[in-house]
Amino acid sequence: MTTVSTSPATRTKTAHGSAPKSRRRAGVVIGRLGLWAWLLATMIPLVFMLITSVKPEGIARSLPPKWLFTPTFDNYRHVLAGGDGLSQGFNDLLLHSAIVTAGSTLLTIVVAVPASYALAMRTFRQRKFLSSWILSTYMFPPIVAVIPIFIYAGKLDLIDRYPVLIVPYAAFNLPIAVWTLRAAVLQIPYEIQESAMVDGASQFTILRRIIWPLLIPSVATAAILSAILSWNEFLFALSLTRSEVKTAPVGVQEFTGMFGTQWGALTAAATVIVAPIVVMTLVLRRRIVSGLTLGAVK
Amino acid sequence: MPRPGRGGGTFRSSQRSRNSTAWVLMAPALALLLIMTIVPAVYLLWASLRNKTLLGLTDRFVGLQNYRDVLSNPDQLHGFARTGFFVLAAVTLELLLGLLLAVPLAAQSRSNNIAATLLLLPFAVTPVVSALMFKELLNPATGWIDYYMGQIGLPAHVEWLSNPTTAWVAIIGLDVWQWTPFVALILMAGLQSLPHEPREAAAIDGANAWQTFRHVSLPQLGPFIAIALVLRTIQAFKTFDAFALLTNGGPGKSTEIVNLQIYRVALQSFRIGAASATAIVFLILLSLLVPLLLRFAGRNADPEEA
Amino acid sequence: MSNSFIPRWAKAGATVLALALALTACGSDDGGTAVEPKAAKPQSLRMLYASTEADAAAVEAILPAFKKKFGFELKMDSQPLPGVQTKAFAELASNSSAYDIIIVDASWMPSLVGKLEPLSKYINDPKLNDMADTDFGDFIPKVLYDTSVYQADNIIAQYPDQSKVPDAKAITEAGFDIYNLPLQANVLIQSYRKDLFNDPKQKAAFEKKYGRPLEVPKTLDEYREVAKFFTQPDKKLYGTTVMAGVGDWSTDDFKTLLATQGGNGLMIDDKFNMAFNSPEGVKALEFYRSLITDGSVPPGSLNASWNEVAASFGSGVTAMSQNYHNAALNDDVDGEEGYAQVPAGVAQGPHFGTWGLAVNPNGKNKAWAYRAMTWLTAAEQQLTMTQDLLHPTRTSVYDQVQNQTEDPQLAEFYKVMGASLAVGVGRPRLTNYTEVAQAIAVAVNEAASGKKEPQEALDSAEQNVRRLLSEAGYDLGS
Repeated sequence: MTTVSTSPATRTKTAHGSAPKSRRRAGVVIGRLGLWAWLLATMIPLVFMLITSVKPEGIARSLPPKWLFTPTFDNYRHVLAGGDGLSQGFNDLLLHSAIVTAGSTLLTIVVAVPASYALAMRTFRQRKFLSSWILSTYMFPPIVAVIPIFIYAGKLDLIDRYPVLIVPYAAFNLPIAVWTLRAAVLQIPYEIQESAMVDGASQFTILRRIIWPLLIPSVATAAILSAILSWNEFLFALSLTRSEVKTAPVGVQEFTGMFGTQWGALTAAATVIVAPIVVMTLVLRRRIVSGLTLGAVK
Repeated sequence: MPRPGRGGGTFRSSQRSRNSTAWVLMAPALALLLIMTIVPAVYLLWASLRNKTLLGLTDRFVGLQNYRDVLSNPDQLHGFARTGFFVLAAVTLELLLGLLLAVPLAAQSRSNNIAATLLLLPFAVTPVVSALMFKELLNPATGWIDYYMGQIGLPAHVEWLSNPTTAWVAIIGLDVWQWTPFVALILMAGLQSLPHEPREAAAIDGANAWQTFRHVSLPQLGPFIAIALVLRTIQAFKTFDAFALLTNGGPGKSTEIVNLQIYRVALQSFRIGAASATAIVFLILLSLLVPLLLRFAGRNADPEEA
Repeated sequence: MSNSFIPRWAKAGATVLALALALTACGSDDGGTAVEPKAAKPQSLRMLYASTEADAAAVEAILPAFKKKFGFELKMDSQPLPGVQTKAFAELASNSSAYDIIIVDASWMPSLVGKLEPLSKYINDPKLNDMADTDFGDFIPKVLYDTSVYQADNIIAQYPDQSKVPDAKAITEAGFDIYNLPLQANVLIQSYRKDLFNDPKQKAAFEKKYGRPLEVPKTLDEYREVAKFFTQPDKKLYGTTVMAGVGDWSTDDFKTLLATQGGNGLMIDDKFNMAFNSPEGVKALEFYRSLITDGSVPPGSLNASWNEVAASFGSGVTAMSQNYHNAALNDDVDGEEGYAQVPAGVAQGPHFGTWGLAVNPNGKNKAWAYRAMTWLTAAEQQLTMTQDLLHPTRTSVYDQVQNQTEDPQLAEFYKVMGASLAVGVGRPRLTNYTEVAQAIAVAVNEAASGKKEPQEALDSAEQNVRRLLSEAGYDLGS
């Protein structure tokens, strides 16, 4: 195995001379260029959003687009504080969004961890059927669920209360959380559990003492994915809230309407909605990626 | 909570006790999914047999009439077909592009750290917001894309959303913009986790970069591709915001997908019975697809359970 | 969120029981419980409102005055279309008492009539009309009859004489009732660039080309000609706008043209005749398409709605435009806006749709909700709200605002609006109008884009509309 440690470049060179190497390098360069071209192109909508949000009102939509101007934060002030036809400021809406997101993410994890552990137990005979079934519920389209939930929530007087968003969001995130976490549990060497069982530890003890600490990184992944969906959800939030728990993606629609779109306010609102989730995603990027691969790594 | 009394029981009884422990551990998850998917599904099934409206103007048992209406309505059937087309096109493109981006991204370097960070940005953007931004950028009278395309000599005044083909390009483009990062990162992580040895061995044997990728890396990447495919396919079937905000089903009916049809009937005309029948048909079609996807994913991603 | 979740969850069970009891109790009573004018003042009232469509900013501006007058607060939650519709229906369907006042759009009324408090009893009780000058006869007849006056057991019926000065007693005697008080009326009007129309160079060029002076078009032929004249794509200027994207907006454009060509602007009459599929309908679509084939409308028109059209005119891209408000130019466009009625053909019938305020029959403060509504819709308050560009619903307000305002442009706008409302045409009274309108919008869009010939498009729309109506339970005969 010592040969493996020598660098691949040297090996290639010795075996084939420099022509394939330069071709390989050309391929790498083209790949890189393609990657960066893609990245730049995908930034356009975000640049548009940011720039428009700080443009003075009169020139927000002028063509050719103006790139030199004195930035203004009026749009942010208006959006955050509310007033002038805006029924609620975004500081309220962002708070509601944060509570809903935190609540549903927590619920997802609390429910998903024991379930994933059970589904990874070799002695649990129904595990195969149940894993398939849980993943298949991920297919249930929210647009279909919204009708009955809306009717029952109305009858139970739950409209415009936190649970009416937290519980459905948790349910819709559960399959992907279970998928991620179960794969992580399966990765933990079974011998560790077995030796604990021989020592007479119960399943709950094993879960709490042995599995849970090893699972924390994957929990982070599942939590982030749940949080993104909950934070961005629109249809349920629109149908099931009034003002007490109205979330930010619903509020953003108030800037478009029959008489034109207030682009400055809309983009400022969009920016304040997108910013927290982007920051969180960036901070935890490595976690998201490693968690997503767990289902595949054996 | 240890159970001293059972510790020394027979193998079978400890098996049973573990099984019941498993059920206890599963219970909250099952309850949640029961309330949020099975109960709605049962309600839909019941409502689909009635001519129910939200406000209770009518609410009578009508047998299979709603299903007859759905299945005899060519628009509705086209809606299902369009949904299938969208999922197929968007997911295929995302997998191809994701793979293309993942390869250069998988090399460990400082610039790639920045690249991976930037790549993830669109994934975090609220879909409502990205749809509104796309619509404005594509506006042929006031949008940036038209203006700058004209500036660099490309055809100006492309009426993106007024022509069925370009409208599909725009909608699929939005989905690709939003979700390719997700696919690319899964595949990137996959490539990074692959062992080096086989690739090196192939290089020694004189394989070029493409051959190495095609015959060594790609097969190893199988499980990751399977995961990306399954997740994206499921998510793509749920797409709603992009269609509602970007085209509203137009031009004509060319982008009218099932989710829009259900939305119109259920939440704009409030004909719950009729909408439920469409929803049930949709659910049946999806549930036929689930086992196929799971088998595919299972074979590739989950050898232990396969 | 002041309370914790748990008591609310626990309460839910009890609420279901209570609701069930309340439902059975109400069911026998026809919803017509007596209103107690002497009911104590509530702590506050809550109103569901529509954002820009119904000018939430104007209402918000007079809320402090409301508190001064009533001694308690009126809280307003607003949401734009289409969300506000989902909400209003959800509130009424679940018999929730959360809102005392609920905004309703004319197009929702056919579904909602059975769920709203009939107002004739309130209007006829002087003790409930003590907070404002509630002159009922002052509402614009067309607006009131179209928006508010319905026959509960025959929803599709239109009030027979829609030009008569509104009178609550006459309405109830004819078997109708009043289900809301109209507040904001949106009607299709034409805006144009006064600076371009007054430009001597443009005037000379037009006269030279067409042998008549350049004027704001009054007929469809003139409209098409003027639109063509101004169109200069190389200078990024187009003649006018159309809202040909799939949605309410294109249906509304079409029904206006249908009426203008002499057809029935309602599109479907109360005998279920498909008046939109007619020679007039074909002519309307041919005219609509001609604006597009002439190149007189900006690119993107085939996907445009209210919003894009406002943006095109606002950024100075078009010389004329048709929309439902005082379309204004952006700050960086050097020019002046003018307003006119939309061009006429053999007849006139601009589309209009009105927002009204309705009493939630499940509300706990119905007497005060009604009083608040009378105050908000009274002439005095409407006049104040024109400062924030409310589109009033009373004849006297249009008269007053034209005399009072020092802004000639605004006077012109309100004059045009008032005149347009007086000849406006509303919508057919169908419970699934949204779906019907969508089917017609598809036809308009397909004819406008040239994908189908007008007759072909209307034929397939008729087929779809018939299917939709029978699916919704309407008996179309054969």
